[in-house]
Amino acid sequence: MGDGGTSARMNGWKFIRFVNALRAVSVSISAQDILDAQACLDRFPDIPDKQILKSIFIRRSQDSEIFESIWRILLETQKTSVQEYVEEMSEKAVLEETQDSFGMGGQGVGRGSGGISLTVIGHSLDSSQITELVSATRLEALTASGLEFDEIVQAVLAEMDYYTWINTNDLVYQRNELLEESWYEHQDSRTALNREIRQQVLTAQVSQQNSWEPLARQHWLVKPLSTLTEEEKDLVKLSIRKWAQKLALRPGSRWKISHRGFIDIARVIQQSIRCDGFIFHLSYRQKIPRAPELVVLCDVSNSMGSFVEFLIYMVTCLRTRFRKIRVFFFIDSVWDVSDFVWDDDLGAAKQEITSWGRKASSGFTDYGAVFRELAEDQLRGLSGRETLVILGDGKNNFRPAQTEYMAHISSKVRNVFWLNPLDRQAWDESDSMMGAYQKYCSKVYRCRCARDLQKIVKDIF
Amino acid sequence: MQASPLDLAQVLKEEGYLIDEESATTLFLSLALEKPCLIEGPAGVGKTQLALALARAEKRKLIRLQCYEGLDLNKALYDWNYAKQLLRLQLAKTEDWNEIKADLFSIEFLLTRPLLESILSPEPVLLLIDELDKSDEEFESFLLELLAERQVTIPELGTIVAKTSPIVILTSNNIRDFSDALRRRCIHIYLTYPTLEREISIVRSQAPEVAHRLTKDVCEFVAKVRKLPLQKLPSVSETIDFARALNTLQRETLNYGDLMGTLSILLKYPKDIAKLEERLKKWEMEALQRG
Repeated sequence: MGDGGTSARMNGWKFIRFVNALRAVSVSISAQDILDAQACLDRFPDIPDKQILKSIFIRRSQDSEIFESIWRILLETQKTSVQEYVEEMSEKAVLEETQDSFGMGGQGVGRGSGGISLTVIGHSLDSSQITELVSATRLEALTASGLEFDEIVQAVLAEMDYYTWINTNDLVYQRNELLEESWYEHQDSRTALNREIRQQVLTAQVSQQNSWEPLARQHWLVKPLSTLTEEEKDLVKLSIRKWAQKLALRPGSRWKISHRGFIDIARVIQQSIRCDGFIFHLSYRQKIPRAPELVVLCDVSNSMGSFVEFLIYMVTCLRTRFRKIRVFFFIDSVWDVSDFVWDDDLGAAKQEITSWGRKASSGFTDYGAVFRELAEDQLRGLSGRETLVILGDGKNNFRPAQTEYMAHISSKVRNVFWLNPLDRQAWDESDSMMGAYQKYCSKVYRCRCARDLQKIVKDIF
Repeated sequence: MQASPLDLAQVLKEEGYLIDEESATTLFLSLALEKPCLIEGPAGVGKTQLALALARAEKRKLIRLQCYEGLDLNKALYDWNYAKQLLRLQLAKTEDWNEIKADLFSIEFLLTRPLLESILSPEPVLLLIDELDKSDEEFESFLLELLAERQVTIPELGTIVAKTSPIVILTSNNIRDFSDALRRRCIHIYLTYPTLEREISIVRSQAPEVAHRLTKDVCEFVAKVRKLPLQKLPSVSETIDFARALNTLQRETLNYGDLMGTLSILLKYPKDIAKLEERLKKWEMEALQRG
């Protein structure tokens, strides 16, 4: 390959780097795929490299974007290495610093990093304009500042008055001063702009860190659930269904002790009497499901909404595996929503999540009060066979933890599993009460991304 | 096989299917590599039609397996003809049992189902495994041998290898995700709703009786409708039906005010129709404002 193709063909080194990059961001490429790609590159010199590689390496539509990102970083920058690209970015930055006196935001003053304010552009953007909207210098500075990917994207957008721009257009549309077609154009521009900014931030991060790690973090399996796009959300839901189906097909891990259970001696003897004392078949005790009853307790305060959606979806998929499921939402008091949350599209559950915020007296989570209410009122009729799953960040807004109620609940149920969307380091920070509650839990899981959910499905259900 | 993706697009066009360049290239490569092609996308974008057009273009016999929940090997691959086996046993009471035993599980007593039919066919075939996402995971796993090796294994007969390599097309509406093992064995095409220009061309080729102006209006209208948050977006075939319906009503252009009663051809859920009717009033007012 490479030398054997036309002069325009990508060389072997670039090909290997490209494959390596795709693998680094979790796109699975086998040796056979590589052979197929090489064969096609040789056999069909008229078909562009990109199309051949995309056809052979990409097997999920959602991986297309990551393919495009890598292609752009590796092959459209026309540089032989990421390092060279970094050097070029630095040179550009120096040049821009000396030439540019306009601030981002179009004020002509301020951050001195160049850029255009979207508010002077109108409702829609020309696709050619989009790539020129961000100043490389500013982007590099933000990337070097150590901010997270989403924070950088937000900062870049804020600096170009993106939020003012979208709010203004929303308002104009609501007042019927913007035609529907123009509104759609505006929506398309928003999407395109967001995509471009994200792409540029990723490129800058990859260059600066000289690693594909920033791109790998954008994979839907490891991305925080709260930052998923609509397509990625659908994908996570599809995967949850798949995991649930797998669970249904794997009874071995669902039943106690062993697939067949304990031998029931009394029944074996009873049956042998009918056959003159001969034993022909062994009888087993009735199988008991590992989690016969489930109680789910979800914090639905603003920071938790996106996580609740996935947990409820997961429980919906696993509904048939439990004898009884009760679902409670809470902020500073508890509400039984067991009858509302079983829609496939989760419309009713989402509605409950948003409307509950208005019903709450303060809007600030109070775990102590919630556990007290739960212990005193809601969980009186416990059978003792329940598994309690709590979804919450453990942040108690500096209110008393009232751990005695948590201890009481824990003693009344078989298991308590706590799912926390925060990273472990944040569990003991400021107002988090995880440390106090953790000792009453059978296990505390991080539940931040789809991969965490996958582990939880395997372990708990 | 065609010499290039353009040639493939051309022969498909002659068969009444307009394919975009990227999908044509991917399909061409899957044919060149003799790998199954997994076509995914929302309902009604032309996944099955692509397979049908390809079978005609390649002059191959089409063998279709429609998947559904609970589909098993007896329906998809083979079954033993028990009635015939019983008759054989009754007729051969005096014969040697060992001979009969071997004879009972021979090809003669085998009922071939679509998958086996495609493997045994002496003439080139195109095997369409339609809506695979509706089948169960066990069936998906069973397909791996067929997709990778073009062979199937029947315990009583052994492994049967395809006489002619069939073109295999799998379609899916994304109701459930497939395993990596299945995806790895296929080349993937994601079909989505066509661009305005392509949809106009499709409607013109499928419904040439509809006036050009009306075709354009209908396609622009459908493109607008697809941007609404509906439960089911209109498919290409529904666009064609809608254009034909308006043509039957002798409309020459599309007016937002005249669409009541025809929207059920385009949308299939009452909730969606109500949403669109509400929006139509707004669009009509905007059209009036523009003069």
